Amino acid sequence: MRKSRIIHILLICLAVLAVAGIAGFLRWHALTTLNVDYDEDDYLRAAQEFAQLIREGDWVGFMDTNYRPEHPPLAKIIYGLSILPAKEYPLIPDVSTTAQPNQNVPRPLLRNGRIISACFGVITAGILAIVNPLAGLMLAIHSFTIKYTSQVMLESLPALTSVLLVLCYTQWKKRKEQKKGLGWLIGSAIFLGLTAASKYIYCVIGLAVLADWMLDARSSSTYKKNILNILLWGLAAVAVFFLFDPYLWSDPINRLKESVLFHAAYSSSASEVQSAGYPFWQVFYWITSTPRFWQPNSMYFAIDPLITLMAIFGLSRVWKTRRVYVLWLIFAIVFLLLWPTKWPQYILILTVPLSLVAAEGCAVIVINPIRNLYYRLRHREKHLIVPVKSEIKKALPWLIPGLIIFFVFTILPLLFQLGVSTTDFNSVSIRDGLNGGITREVWKGLTGQVKAGYFSFPFRSTTVHYLGFNSYLPLISYLSQQEIFIFNILWTVFSVALQAALGIGVALLLWQRGLKFKRGWQTLFILPWAIPEMIGALMWMNVFQPVTGWLSLGVQQYGEGFPFSFLMGWENSWDGVLLILLISGVWYGFPFLMLAASAGLKMMPTEVYDAAEMDGANSWQIFKLITWPLLMPLIFPAIIVRSIFAFNQFYLFQTFGVWNGTLATLSYNFFNPSGFQINGQFSISAVINIITMILLIGFVVLLSRWGKADDGVTYA
Amino acid sequence: MRKIKWLRHVVSQLLLCIVGLYVILPIWGIMRLAFDGSLYGRATEFRLFPKVWAFDSFLKVLDRPYQSVEFLVLLKNSLVVSIAAALMALILGGTLAYAFARFRFPGKKPGLFVLLLTAVLPPIAFATPLYIVLSLLQLRTTLLGLTIVYAVFALPFCIWNMRAGFQSVSRELEEAAFLDGAGPWMTFQKITLPLALPSVFVAGLIAFLMAYSEFAIGWLFVDQASTVTLAMSIYAMITSGSAQPWSMLGSLIIIMSIPVVTIFVLLQRTLFERMMFGSIKS
Repeated sequence: MRKSRIIHILLICLAVLAVAGIAGFLRWHALTTLNVDYDEDDYLRAAQEFAQLIREGDWVGFMDTNYRPEHPPLAKIIYGLSILPAKEYPLIPDVSTTAQPNQNVPRPLLRNGRIISACFGVITAGILAIVNPLAGLMLAIHSFTIKYTSQVMLESLPALTSVLLVLCYTQWKKRKEQKKGLGWLIGSAIFLGLTAASKYIYCVIGLAVLADWMLDARSSSTYKKNILNILLWGLAAVAVFFLFDPYLWSDPINRLKESVLFHAAYSSSASEVQSAGYPFWQVFYWITSTPRFWQPNSMYFAIDPLITLMAIFGLSRVWKTRRVYVLWLIFAIVFLLLWPTKWPQYILILTVPLSLVAAEGCAVIVINPIRNLYYRLRHREKHLIVPVKSEIKKALPWLIPGLIIFFVFTILPLLFQLGVSTTDFNSVSIRDGLNGGITREVWKGLTGQVKAGYFSFPFRSTTVHYLGFNSYLPLISYLSQQEIFIFNILWTVFSVALQAALGIGVALLLWQRGLKFKRGWQTLFILPWAIPEMIGALMWMNVFQPVTGWLSLGVQQYGEGFPFSFLMGWENSWDGVLLILLISGVWYGFPFLMLAASAGLKMMPTEVYDAAEMDGANSWQIFKLITWPLLMPLIFPAIIVRSIFAFNQFYLFQTFGVWNGTLATLSYNFFNPSGFQINGQFSISAVINIITMILLIGFVVLLSRWGKADDGVTYA
Repeated sequence: MRKIKWLRHVVSQLLLCIVGLYVILPIWGIMRLAFDGSLYGRATEFRLFPKVWAFDSFLKVLDRPYQSVEFLVLLKNSLVVSIAAALMALILGGTLAYAFARFRFPGKKPGLFVLLLTAVLPPIAFATPLYIVLSLLQLRTTLLGLTIVYAVFALPFCIWNMRAGFQSVSRELEEAAFLDGAGPWMTFQKITLPLALPSVFVAGLIAFLMAYSEFAIGWLFVDQASTVTLAMSIYAMITSGSAQPWSMLGSLIIIMSIPVVTIFVLLQRTLFERMMFGSIKS
């Protein structure tokens, strides 16, 4: 027993060391190669000012020194300490935040600052490795995390203190029952204070911890006792924050107000924020992208998108075992969605829980299946396959004609498409292509008679050439950099969620006993579903079209007081486009889900409701405890059908001219030989279709693995 | 469950009114265009009701809505293509659907998977290779080519739906017919098909509606005015800008939508069940 525990501890130590080694190696490479980034010169100047104060022993000066006062000084003071051993240099010039980064900052200062930053980064990964070694590894190789913990940025210190904060909190939570572990709780308060004194936005993690605490209090119904503890905890954190923020000592209220107000003004008026023009969902782009595109030599590899993908599968598992990390992730994402400034470094507030969830996800989708397979191979003899009587002889006459047709018209075109995607076939080379050029090139390519050509967009050659899979990677990176993947998926999630909410809401309203005009309303609400999608999109275009649409005309005539005038100018930003598309898309889609919910509600057992009412349950309780759990499995198939539809949505986007909205629309517009955009790129369109197909195969496979709820859809 | 109280009733009706406004708003906008006789191009002022009530645009549209093509030609094209595509999809997919519904054979599960996958792919994924295949066959710009395209779009969906229909016919009935000496084809023809006819009909109807209201992908397969369908002529009207009164666009939209809307409102329950890929058991 004891021996195994020692081995366990030894293994963990080994894992932590390995993770720290990898993290350190990658960060060292990054910090020696990365160019000077925005803000690095600013924070180095701040560090120089603090170093000056320390050298002169001017301790009072700390109360009035904080270059870039919008951020609290702790991290800057640490950088000041780090450059003490280096030689003194003249102050880096004070320039505006919009200026290009100063590449000529003194190298020794930069190196010292970066090394300290990287040290914090390595320790963070190491600490996460104690919680879960795989998670530590993920954080160690997460390229955004590498980048911003290898530069003189404010991220690495609060990232470290926040992981310590959560670690202390979970330790306390474990010992809470035995009334032990008060030290851990005090520790977490101290780390929260340090986090706040390093960078404000990391306080979101404190909120996540608070939420977890409250959830616990609710489940054990000990609000009163906990409220006092929470208050003390918060006060302790605030005290630590003030202690480590000397800049606030002389004039706390005003200076705090000043720095907080700065962020509000910065996000809404700073020219760099405006010109970046990031949509509100930019955080999703950052976590599915990598900074390697910006400077490929600074990183050996970057698998951030893969980490995010794995995280999706780990969410439910971590929720059960370590809820606070999922709350951390959720709070951080919601915060970044709402926060108007969208710089990439902000995602460091969530890379720790993201790595942890991804590690669990990796266990779910990679390790467990392998383990199962191994188990099944070992115990193969025990699972004899029961022979099923085949009726192939009877089935053949029915199958053959249909199969031939299905093969010729459906499968063959898809295979043909796969072939086209490996060439540079386009509307200029159509003559050659139709005269057998495609099969000729693909055959030559596959048999090695010609070498695969290079991808050079747009394709305008007059004969078809074999490219192999060379167009896939450039196109995938185009689709991800143009945020088309993200938009397509977000569109699916948002539109289906809103459709479901409205559809179920309306169905519940109509379901009330004794409601008047029930049938009339139902018929009216079905109309959008009955109208062909293209026509519905046109109708909304008639409402929202810039200049000549109903809304524009109304605003021109009656001024800003016209209802919904705030929607004007939607075509200028991605947020606006998404909003308008959602209004139209939800209009078209909600009736289907209303029908699904109505059909489900008809099957509800009335006796249960009568019993619940006799027992005095209110409407909300009835909905939450009876209606919702019974209804959900019934409308789930409808939600799947709608999701697939929304993912492939085409006519709405085509009518509104959002030609890069979904993969289907993009494919159409690349293909269309008479289109206005880059046209006649048959092979590009084929590549997009193949990618769509792979994504949908993944989705269908997932569906069929999700167990009972989807049986209806897959094998109905 | 007792009846709802009056306050709750009023609130419910108010909420439904708001949703009703949302539903009606864009439809109203097109109606107002269609009945306005004062338009020369696009609307230039905000109005809730037409400035000059007129029915002219409907009459004009019923004569020749798109370039020099008559309405009847457009309607004929639409109907020919849609009906032929629906029949094609039903006939070609019927036997396959029956085989998947009735028999056990190796490769059935992967087959179903492929079928489902082809049913969830966006139509554009089939359109692009068909463009090339039909060009090879010199069929691309003919009505037959268009029919094939729409039939292919509808095929996986029809197979999937008819399979559900055939499955719902009880096996015992077929076996009884078999014992009485009917061959497999006879059994299918006399027992299974008539019993599954409603779902076959609805599958065909959905295929018809798909083809009837499709415009953008079909547009790739058209290069002369005489093979344009109704839906495409609407698309052509928008892309031609404000060359003609938008009241004509509005009235064409209304004329085109009326049959579809009628079918949907009358058959809402059945259509809905089919679109759920037969996953709701009634």
